[in-house]
Amino acid sequence: MNNKTNTTEKNSEKQLPSVWTRAYTANSEWPDKDEFLDVIYWTRQVIGIVLGICWGLISIKGFIGLMLFVLANAGIIYYYFTNFQNIDEEDYGGVWELCKEGFMTSFAGFLVTWIIIYSGLHFESGSV
Amino acid sequence: MWADTLLIVFISICTALLGEGLTWLMVYRTEKYQKLKAEVERQSKRLEKRKEAHGDSLDKQHKKKIEREEERLKNNNRDLSFVKMKSMFAIGFAFTALLSMFNSIFDGRVVARLPFLPLPWIQGLSHRNLPGEDYYECSFIFLYILCTMSIRQNIQKLLGFAPSRAASKQGNGLFGPNPGQFK
Repeated sequence: MNNKTNTTEKNSEKQLPSVWTRAYTANSEWPDKDEFLDVIYWTRQVIGIVLGICWGLISIKGFIGLMLFVLANAGIIYYYFTNFQNIDEEDYGGVWELCKEGFMTSFAGFLVTWIIIYSGLHFESGSV
Repeated sequence: MWADTLLIVFISICTALLGEGLTWLMVYRTEKYQKLKAEVERQSKRLEKRKEAHGDSLDKQHKKKIEREEERLKNNNRDLSFVKMKSMFAIGFAFTALLSMFNSIFDGRVVARLPFLPLPWIQGLSHRNLPGEDYYECSFIFLYILCTMSIRQNIQKLLGFAPSRAASKQGNGLFGPNPGQFK
């Protein structure tokens, strides 16, 4: 009996593609909620760093930069889980829970890259 | 400008790795910690499932069972915090000394130029030990804290040392999920 259950479990695990593949594929299945939350978390970190580099390169300044980051970060993630993966937010404790997953870490990563690129490109050591 | 900022990122990566390495030596690898962690995770997941299944029911028996499990989880969480506490204090002291050393190296030095004006209550940190009143100038400590916030958490997650979501959701012991996170 136990063996049978194990085989069935193994088979169902085998049928699912890797997390990477599922993350890029629309409407994927996420039997393990933590896996999906991890995808959201790491996507957020990448978005934070990419936006930080962009903001630094195009020299965005002031609170508008911070506001734009918050909007873009939340917007991209919201689009990803509602329109791309089509998951039921209630399974994860609501939209808010998903929106705040890894937000602070991503925000810190964004600030670090924004500050470093902005000061490195636009200010010389002597001018500060 | 590049040199200082990249050096701070490097320092932050090193201290995060050192911190995690020391915590692994003193806490994570011990049998007691591993047992307690597994127990807390198992209990948190079971409690979450039970709450989902009987969340709205007014059945007294279920409520009592849930309460009993919550109490057990709380005790285990407390034990887990105590196991961590000793090493956290040791690491905290070591890192405070390291931080004051870096502080004196970067004393009065503008390490970066901020692209935004920090809120007044953050300016004390972002302009710490810097001369003048140009609040766009960034001090070592501000950039270091930001780096640590982002790097430490990601390293913990990559190495699998971050507390599980189920355990965090059910509430962590005495000091929250990451005691000494910014050290």
